[in-house]
Amino acid sequence: MGSLFRGEDMTLCQIYFQSEAAYSCVAQLGELGIVQFRDLNPTVNAFQRKFVNEVRRCEEMERKLRFLESEIAKDNDKDIVLVEPQEFCEAPKPKEMIELETALEQLEHDLQEVNSNKDALKKNYLELQELRHILTKATTFFEEQDRIQGGEQTVIQMDNQERIQPLRLGFLAGVIDRERVPSFELMLWRICRGNVFLRTAEIEETLEDPKTNIQVYKTVFILFFQGEQLKSKVKKICDGFKATIYPCPETASERREMGLGVMTRLEELKTVLDQSLNLRKSLLKNAGQNLKMWFCRVRKMKAIYHTMNMFNLEVNQKCLIAECWAPVNELTRIKLALDKGTELSGSHIQSILNRMETKEQPPTHHRLNKFSSGFQNIVDAYGISSYREINPAPFTVITFPFLFAVMFGDAGHGLIMTLFGLFMVLRETQLKNKFKTNEVWQIFFGGRYIILLMGVFSIYTGVMYNDVFSKSMNIFGSSWKVGVGNDFDFEKVTVFDLNPNPVVNHTRNEIKMYSGNPYPFGVDPIWVMSINKIAFTNSLKMKFSVIIGIMQMMFGLCLSLLNHLFFGKMTSVLFEFIPQVIFLLFIFVYLCVMIFIKWIKFVGSPDSTQCAPNLLIELINMFFFKSAADDDPCKALYPGQATVQKILIVIAVLCVPVMLLGKPIVLYLKHKRKSQIGQRLSDSGHTNPLAVGNEENSSDSAEGVDLKILKETPIGKGSPNASNDDLSHDEEPFDMGEIAVEQCIHTIEYFLGCISHTASYLRLWALSLAHAELSEVLWTMILRIGLGSGSTPGFVILWLVFYPWAAFTVGVLLLMEGLSAFLHALRLHWVEFQSKFYKGEGYQFMPFSFQQILELAENPDKI
Amino acid sequence: MFLDVLFNIDNGYLEGLVRGFKSGILKNQDYVNLVQCETLEDLKLHLQTTDYGNFLANEPSPLTVSVIDDKIREKYVLEFQHLRNHSVEPLSKFLDYITYAYMIDNIVLLITGHLHQRSIQELLPKCHPLGMFEQMGAITVADTSANLYNAILIDTPLAPYFIDCISEHDLDELNIEIMRNTLYKAYIEDFYKFCQELGGPTSEVMCELLAFEADRRAFMITINSLGVELPKDERSKLYPRCGKLYPDGLNQLAKAEEYEQVRMIAESYAEYKPLFENVGTNPGDKTIEDKFFEQEVTMNLNAFMRQFGFGVFYSFLKLKEQENRNIIWIAECVAQKHRARIDNYIPIM
Repeated sequence: MGSLFRGEDMTLCQIYFQSEAAYSCVAQLGELGIVQFRDLNPTVNAFQRKFVNEVRRCEEMERKLRFLESEIAKDNDKDIVLVEPQEFCEAPKPKEMIELETALEQLEHDLQEVNSNKDALKKNYLELQELRHILTKATTFFEEQDRIQGGEQTVIQMDNQERIQPLRLGFLAGVIDRERVPSFELMLWRICRGNVFLRTAEIEETLEDPKTNIQVYKTVFILFFQGEQLKSKVKKICDGFKATIYPCPETASERREMGLGVMTRLEELKTVLDQSLNLRKSLLKNAGQNLKMWFCRVRKMKAIYHTMNMFNLEVNQKCLIAECWAPVNELTRIKLALDKGTELSGSHIQSILNRMETKEQPPTHHRLNKFSSGFQNIVDAYGISSYREINPAPFTVITFPFLFAVMFGDAGHGLIMTLFGLFMVLRETQLKNKFKTNEVWQIFFGGRYIILLMGVFSIYTGVMYNDVFSKSMNIFGSSWKVGVGNDFDFEKVTVFDLNPNPVVNHTRNEIKMYSGNPYPFGVDPIWVMSINKIAFTNSLKMKFSVIIGIMQMMFGLCLSLLNHLFFGKMTSVLFEFIPQVIFLLFIFVYLCVMIFIKWIKFVGSPDSTQCAPNLLIELINMFFFKSAADDDPCKALYPGQATVQKILIVIAVLCVPVMLLGKPIVLYLKHKRKSQIGQRLSDSGHTNPLAVGNEENSSDSAEGVDLKILKETPIGKGSPNASNDDLSHDEEPFDMGEIAVEQCIHTIEYFLGCISHTASYLRLWALSLAHAELSEVLWTMILRIGLGSGSTPGFVILWLVFYPWAAFTVGVLLLMEGLSAFLHALRLHWVEFQSKFYKGEGYQFMPFSFQQILELAENPDKI
Repeated sequence: MFLDVLFNIDNGYLEGLVRGFKSGILKNQDYVNLVQCETLEDLKLHLQTTDYGNFLANEPSPLTVSVIDDKIREKYVLEFQHLRNHSVEPLSKFLDYITYAYMIDNIVLLITGHLHQRSIQELLPKCHPLGMFEQMGAITVADTSANLYNAILIDTPLAPYFIDCISEHDLDELNIEIMRNTLYKAYIEDFYKFCQELGGPTSEVMCELLAFEADRRAFMITINSLGVELPKDERSKLYPRCGKLYPDGLNQLAKAEEYEQVRMIAESYAEYKPLFENVGTNPGDKTIEDKFFEQEVTMNLNAFMRQFGFGVFYSFLKLKEQENRNIIWIAECVAQKHRARIDNYIPIM
C-alpha cells in the first residue's frame, strides 16, 4: 500500500562493472527487471557504439530464426510444432554465442540445400506434368489438323493435280498461364498477321508453382504455322509471355510412347520428391523443438548488448560504468544480483553500486498487482504522477466504481455486469492468452476487476434506488398506505399522487398516507406507482449528487494538504490550502449543511411545505447578502441565518485575494532576503556567493522538486565519467512575473472550478435519471406487451418479446449506458477530483526487464 | 473553389496517408549519419531507426547495393500500389499517368538491351515494376518502330504518344533516344492537359511542376545534343511545349549551338537563371543536373503547402524517388569505399 499511496522512493545509481563480468551482471539485472538504465552516450550513432558487432550478430541469428519460423509456417504441418521451452531459458553466456551461431548457420545451410533440391525437383515435376498434359491434349489437336489438312488437300488436289504432296505445317506445343491466353492470342495475330493457327485447351487441375507454392491454372496450346521466319517470331513471343515449349512428336504412336515414358519418370520423381520433403520435414521438426528457446535466448542476448551499448567506458578500458534508476527498497536485491552475476562470470572483482545525488526528477514507480494495475491505468491515462506525489489510484479503487454505480443504479443490470466481471476474473488464466489480437476484448479483459467492482456497486445502488430492471421490490412492506377507506381500488386507480401530508378527501375523512416510519432500506417501493415519482427521485438524487461531489472535492483538498506537508511547502499550506478549504467549507459544505437542515426541519407537515426554501435560490441570494428568511421568517432554516450567511460569504470572498497574492509575495520576500544575504557574504569576502544564494533558494522555494534524496557520498563523484547531465539541470532563476501569472491562473481555476465542479457533479443525478427512465421505457414498451396479454397467447408473445428486450437491455442499457457512465465517472475523477491535488507531471519507470522485452517481441503490435 | 469541400470524400484518406508518408522522408540529420557509415551493415542499422524500419531485416549478410536497391524499390512500389488500389477516379487516372513515365523507361530499356543482344529474361527483372505491362515480354519481336507500335504498344496507354515516332527505320541508338524523347514530350504534354482539365489546386500545382519538368527536358536535350549530329528541326520537335520556355525560349534553344548560348537563354528567365550559376564539372562543383534536381525537390516540397489537390501524390513520389537515388548513391559510395563524392546527394528536408 505504501508504494501505491506514493510512488517508490527512487535513487540514481552508478554501477561499475568489471568488463568481463558486465555481461552476466546485466543478464541478472534483466531477470530481476527493476532497474532502468540511462543512455550515457545519447550523441553516439547506433552503429558507432561499442557492442554494435554483437548486436549485429544477434540480429543475424534472429534473421535465421525468423527464416526457420517462416519455413515451418509455410509447411503448415500438424506434426511440426513449436515447442514452448520447458525449462527457464537463461541468457546464454557470451562464449555460447559462437556455438549457437554455428548451430543456426548449419541448420539454415542444410535447410537451404534441401529447399534448393526440392525446388529443382518440383520444377522438374511440374515440367513433366505439363508435358503429360500436352501429350494427352495434343491428340485432339492433331486430329483436327489432319481434318483441316485433309480438306486443304482436296482443294489443292482439285486445283493442282501435279502437287500431291500435302502442305506440311510446322507446330509448337507448350503451356501458358491461363490468364495470359487472350493477350497472347492477340499478339500472335498482330505479329504474324493471322498466319498462325492457335488451339488451346485448359488444364482442369491446378499446378503448383515451384517458386511460390501457389496453385495456378494453366492452359495447353498448340501453334501451327508455316516457315522458319514465322517460327522464330512465334518463339520470341512465347518467350515474352513466359510460355514453356515442349517437344511434341508428330505421330500418335510416338506420342503414346513418350507419354508412357513421362508417366514412369513422373512416378520416379514423385518418390524422390517425397523423400526430399520428408527430409525437410524432419529438419523442421528438429528445429521446431528448439526454436522458441533459441528465440528467447537470442532476444535476451540482444537486449543485454543493447543495454551495454548505453554504458560508459572507463578510461583504462577495465570497467564499464552504468547509470540507472532503481527503487531504494530493492537495492539489496540488485546488489545480490550483481554478486551472482560476478560469480557466474568467474570474475574476482565485485561490481560496485553507488548511489548518486541528482536534481533530476526520478521516474515514478508504483508496485502493482493485477488488481491495482487496472485502476492505476485510469490514473496514468491522465498523467503519470509526479515523483512521490500522492497517487489517486488507491482511492479510485473505491470511488470510481461507486460514482459509476450512482449513475448506473440498477440491481438487475448490475448483476449481469457482476457476473460478466466474475467470469473474466475466475477464468483469468484460461482467458489470458485467448483473443490476444482482439483489441476490444483486450480492453474489457484488462479492466476485469474494475468491471467486477462496478457491477457489485451497481447492485448496491440499485437496491438503494430500489430498481431492478426498472421495477421495485417490496421486501419490508411499504410504509405508505394509499387507500385507507374502502373506496380505494387498486384495480381501477392506476395512478395516484403520494403526499406525505394528511389530506382531506371528498368524504371529509382525513387520510394519512404516510405511516411516519420510513422504509428500512433505500427508496420505498410504492413510489414506482406514483405520478410524482420523478419529482421525488429527482430531488433526492440531485441533493445526493451534490453531497457526494462536495465530499469528494473536500477529500481531494485534504490530500493536497498531505502533499504540501510531505514536500515541506509551508507557504502552500498557508496561502493555498487554507484559503481553498475555507472557501469550499463556507460556501459549498454550508450548502450541504443546509440540505440536511432542510431534510430534518421540513418533515412534511402542511405548513412546512409552504415554508421550505429553495436552496439553489438561497445559495445565489447568499452572494447578494440576502436571504429568504428576510421576507418570511418561517423560511429560515435556523435562527440568525442571514447574519451567519453574511459572515460566511465575506470570509470566503476574502480568501480569493489571500490565495492570489499570498504566495507570490512570500516567495518574493524570501528571494529578496536571500540575495541580500548573498550580497553581504560577497562583500565580506566569502566564496562563491551566487552558488550559496542559488542553493538556498532552490532548497526552500523550489516547487515540486523533492530534494529528500539521501546524501551518501558517492565514490563516483571524482571520476571523469560522472554524469554531466546533472549540471545542466541547474535551478532556474527567480522570476516574479512567471510566479504571479501562474498563481493568478491557479486561483481563478480553483475558485471558478469550485462552482462549476459542484454543478458538474449533477451529472450523477442526470445519468442516473436517464438510466432509470430508459430501462422503464424498455420495460413498458416491450416486455409489458408480453406480460399484459392473456395467458395462452401471452406465453408465445412473451417468448417472442423477450429477445428484443434482452438485446436492448444488453446493447443499450449495459453497453452504451455503461460506457457513458464509465466516461462520466472517468471525467469526474480526472477533472473534479484530481484537479484538487494531483499534478501528474512525472514519467514512468521503465525497467530493463527480459519479461517485457520477450512479451513485446512476441506480439509487436501490442505496445 | 467550393468543390474543395468534397475533396475529402474520395481522397481525404489517401491525402492524409501521403502526408504521413512524407513526414517519414529522411531528414538532413539522417543523411549526416548515413554518410558516416563505414559499411553497408552500418547503413542498414541506421535505416532501421528511420521509417524504413526492418525492410532489410530478412536479408542475409553480406549485403550488396543491389539488394538494398531492390528492397527500397519494393517498398516504394508497395506504397504506390496501396495508394493506387484505394484511389477512385480521377485520382486513379492521375496515378496511372505517373506510371506511364516508368513504362516509357521500360520500353527504352528493353529495346536498348535487345540491341545489345541481351536476352529478354535477363532484362525483365531490371524493369521498374510500376511500368510493367503484359505485352512487354514480346518486345523483342519488333525491329522497326512501326512494328513496335502495331504489335505491342497499340494496346498500352502509350499508344497515342507513339504516333509521332512511327517510321520504318531500324531501331538504333539514336533512334531510340529520339523515340524516348518524343514519347516523353507527348506524355508530358498530355499529362499537362489532363491536369489542366482537373482544375483547382491540382492544376495550379501540377502545371507548375510539369512546366518545370518540360523546361528541364528542353534544356537537357539541347545541352546533350550539342555535339551530336542531330538536325536542328529534329531537335526542336523533341521539346515539350508546355513549359515556361514555350514558345520564345524553345525557338531560341532550337538555334543554340554551344553551351554559352543555352546559358544566355536561361538568363532571361528568372526561374532558370540561378540554376546556371556556379555550375561546373570539377569535383566539388554541382552539375547542372544536380541543380535542376535540387530545384525540383524544393518545388515538390512546396506542393505540400497546398491542400485538396493531387499535387501531393506526384510530389511525394518524386521526393521518394529522389530519396531512393540518394540512398543508393550513398550505398554505392560506401560499398566502393569512394568517399570523395559521397556528399553529392540531394538533401530533401
